[in-house]
Amino acid sequence: MMRALGLLFLGLMLATPAFAQKDGLVVDLPGDVATMDPHLQWDTDSYTVYRNIFDNLVTRDATGKIAPQVATAWRYADDRTIVFDLRTDITFHDGSRLTPEDVVFSVQRIINPAFRSPQLSQFDQIVSAEVTGPAQVTLHTKTPYPALMAQLVKLSIVPKAVVEKLGDQRFNQEVVGSGPFRLRAWQRGVQTVLDANDAYWRGKPAFRSVTFRAVPDASTRIADLRTGRADITRGLSPDDAEALKSERALQLLTVPTERIAYMFVNAQAGPTKDKRVRQAIAMAVDRDTIITALQQGYAKPVNIVLTPANFGYVPDVKGWPHDPAKARALIKEAGAEGATLQFLTSPAYDRRLNEAVQQMLGEVGLKVDIVTMDQPTYLRRRQGTPEEAGSLSQGRWSCACQDADGVIFPLFRSGSIWSKFANPAFDAEVDAARTILDPGKRLEHYRRAFEILRDEVPGIGLFQDVAIYAARRELKWAPTANEAFFVMDMKWQP
Amino acid sequence: MSGRITPGVALLLALLAAFVVAAVAAPILAPFDPLRQSLLLRLRPPGTTLAAGTFLLGTDDLGRDLLSRVLYGARASLAVAALSVSVSLLVGTLLGLLAGWFRGWPAILIMRLVDTMLSIPAILLAVLTVAVLGPGFLNLVLVLGLTRWPRYTRVAYAQTLQVANLPYIRAAEMAGSSALRILLRHVLPNIAGPLMVVATTEFGLMILFEAGLSFLGLGIQPPFPSWGSIMSAGRQYVARAWWLTVFPGACLFVLVLCVNLFGDWLRDRVDPRSQSR
Amino acid sequence: MLRHIAGRVGQAIVATFGVLTMVFFVMRLSGDPTLLLVPEGATAEQIAALRHQLGFDRPLVVQYGAYLADLARLDLGESLVQRAPVAGIVGERIPYTMALAAGSLVVALGIGIPAGIAMAVWRGSVLERALAAFVLTGQSLPTFWSGILLILLFGVNLGWLPTSGADSLGSLVMPSVALGALTMSTFARMTRIAVLDELSRDYVAAARARGLSLAAAVGRHVLRNAAIPVVTVTALEVGNLLAGAVIVETVFAWPGIGQLAIQSIAARDFLVVQTVVLFVSVVYVGTNLLADLAYAAIDPRIRMGA
Repeated sequence: MMRALGLLFLGLMLATPAFAQKDGLVVDLPGDVATMDPHLQWDTDSYTVYRNIFDNLVTRDATGKIAPQVATAWRYADDRTIVFDLRTDITFHDGSRLTPEDVVFSVQRIINPAFRSPQLSQFDQIVSAEVTGPAQVTLHTKTPYPALMAQLVKLSIVPKAVVEKLGDQRFNQEVVGSGPFRLRAWQRGVQTVLDANDAYWRGKPAFRSVTFRAVPDASTRIADLRTGRADITRGLSPDDAEALKSERALQLLTVPTERIAYMFVNAQAGPTKDKRVRQAIAMAVDRDTIITALQQGYAKPVNIVLTPANFGYVPDVKGWPHDPAKARALIKEAGAEGATLQFLTSPAYDRRLNEAVQQMLGEVGLKVDIVTMDQPTYLRRRQGTPEEAGSLSQGRWSCACQDADGVIFPLFRSGSIWSKFANPAFDAEVDAARTILDPGKRLEHYRRAFEILRDEVPGIGLFQDVAIYAARRELKWAPTANEAFFVMDMKWQP
Repeated sequence: MSGRITPGVALLLALLAAFVVAAVAAPILAPFDPLRQSLLLRLRPPGTTLAAGTFLLGTDDLGRDLLSRVLYGARASLAVAALSVSVSLLVGTLLGLLAGWFRGWPAILIMRLVDTMLSIPAILLAVLTVAVLGPGFLNLVLVLGLTRWPRYTRVAYAQTLQVANLPYIRAAEMAGSSALRILLRHVLPNIAGPLMVVATTEFGLMILFEAGLSFLGLGIQPPFPSWGSIMSAGRQYVARAWWLTVFPGACLFVLVLCVNLFGDWLRDRVDPRSQSR
Repeated sequence: MLRHIAGRVGQAIVATFGVLTMVFFVMRLSGDPTLLLVPEGATAEQIAALRHQLGFDRPLVVQYGAYLADLARLDLGESLVQRAPVAGIVGERIPYTMALAAGSLVVALGIGIPAGIAMAVWRGSVLERALAAFVLTGQSLPTFWSGILLILLFGVNLGWLPTSGADSLGSLVMPSVALGALTMSTFARMTRIAVLDELSRDYVAAARARGLSLAAAVGRHVLRNAAIPVVTVTALEVGNLLAGAVIVETVFAWPGIGQLAIQSIAARDFLVVQTVVLFVSVVYVGTNLLADLAYAAIDPRIRMGA
């Protein structure tokens, strides 16, 4: 405890705003890191932290294009074999060199089922990895797999020797990466302190240290920001953002993301089994009002269940217009007047949106019961049989891969746990689009897939979500569509 | 002597009655439909007058009339508290009576269960049970009722032990009255006072408990208002729209205060020792 | 006496065992964490495979048996979410929880007891009513609201105290006040009754007849005798002070076991929840056992069965 407190004081001293030069950046996150080991969890707070400690095989540049990181170049040997040339000048925090063996080890580690990585499903199209040269690795995929590069953006490279020496459990406590920051102290439930890695191959980071604090309550995070106890926070609602606009010491950093706000409509059970009811719902939901009134403009309209930040977005498939009169007529025609729809949700989703949709559907003659459960129960039912899954729910989906394959495949492909929709024509399109490499052809498949979705309405795209960060005015940073949080890209300019 | 109905106590009772009336007559008193949203009229301050009418206490984050919601919210908050207190009072008293009357094995069994329940923090037990049953009005009443009974059992048990040894009760037993009859006719009236005192404290706590569960997203479900759910939704707007938390908060404060002060007064009446001085 | 102690310890073990069993099964009834561990696009087969690996497809009784067997070997297991030993995860939070519990007891007792004495001594006065209302304040406001008001006032506007965290004595103040205020009235009322009770006894009347002032009587005799019920109530509140601080800890970002428990329930991190509850239960049962045994030592009449 005393040592813990000592470390805390140290952290606090670094966190105190310095007048001339900003040494330590303090970030308020809603939660603590679950595991420091980058391969062992799939949650946003951990992701935010550990990505600053590790390098990835490839990354995305400011425009969102796949760009080199550990790999300098890559080429397809055949449509299932990809060869990567690697940098040779990267060292881990312990001074050892990052080698092709480390890359292969990282891939094999995550795709090994016995390792139980929660990220397995993102990488399980990879069959094997091998070292094919002094600075070269080759990956083999099950089928031609166009989303591979997008997934590899998230693959952290861990040092084989260190992991094997420490074992998985100790490695999780004492992670060693090759990224711009190294782990100094991790006090679970409290904060994580990282120190700059001055030997970083891309240059010296602008901050000597970063502290990620776990502050679960958004109102408290805002108070921290206003008093300068924290320099930046994420996960703010549009209303929080509006309230902060008048604060002179603060700024809002926003960016449209690849996260799509959507409504699920059950096509396999209940009153929404009737296509006309689903179409009526699409016309009853007033998306413009949701964007202007609820989201206060922190959202972009979409025509389909995908954002323009994703590959596969087709701007010319028409969305449904807001037309309550037509919706009411269609519901009458379907004989569904007064039918009760279960709207499943959990505290993780925006309560106001649920209630707004409830009233909009009420106005066209559908009774909506909002059923709130805690998150695990919600997931169990939503991912269960069509009968369990309720008629409606909302979500904000991001695959962190900026590809339609990570969105409409899991959401609507029959057999997927999220899908309560079975359409062979749709399945054929998305199956084809995930196993060919030609972007032009893929786009054509997605266009047809979205046309089917438009007609069948197993889901409704509500808006493209805008990520809202609030920060001290001195912080210079441009957030990105994939919600990456690289402190390396941030600067302090008083 | 504070045993009499003093003007202070009369004021308390009048305030409590006012809350009950507000809750019962909410449909008549409420100027608007508490569920009716107007997304374009979000977060309007108290006294805003528009074509639709005057929003005396302002509007909430979905443009609903706050006054109407607070009135309807009184219903939910009072009903949850009253019903859950009834459930736990009933269960707790019954078990306490049984344990105190039969002693021996039933007492050991029941009192160990009481120990078990009391050693799990109530809020954790409630969150766990809500996770299993799901939220909603009835489940909430059940969860609160079934997690709070041990407090009554302790009191009922101790009191029954004392009362059961009173000569006239032993006499009734020897005269052949059935245990049930003795418990209900003679023991219960004797121990009702202390139990009511517990119930008043619990009543206030249950209203707060519901509010706490609302904060964790597990209270009364939207769109139906309770004071707790209005406040936890409005909490985000403390700086921007103070009315969302201040009005329901003031109601909650005054009600809980009244109930507790009433409980104090009640205790002084039923506890003969603390009267003599 | 020895038999009595043995009996009470036995009962304490039974109660703890009951807690452990109840929490085990209630948690399992609420579903397992597999779905929360996988990313959004995982397939049904991947989920089933992970569930099998984690052992959640075994019959409940088998899982329960395995849990008890581990416990018997003093092995608390590994967290599914954090992939680290549960003993460490919970253990790291305990100092914070203890600090908060102590801080809130200081507030609750420091205000509650003097208020209770004053309420008893000046019974029926305006002062009594004012104090009664004052000590009830904390119990009449939802903490999630009063907490943020405290933060805005003392943290943001006045800048006296840190707005969140657990890094100095200063950051302990607001959470302690918020948590202490919840139990303050319990202590005040308990003290009031105990003091009134003692004041009504003959020895006080005798002492006063001998010319002892009321203040002296209270100071010399009454408080000592009134202490026992106050200790009892404190022991009963221990559980709530330790892990009942869920909302206070959430609002003030205080890393205690209450926050840990609630997050672990939400994540279905079974072993962490079970260990937190086990810890609270042991402390609760232990404290009450000690209080019990202390009275039995003082007053042999208390040695009754249940």
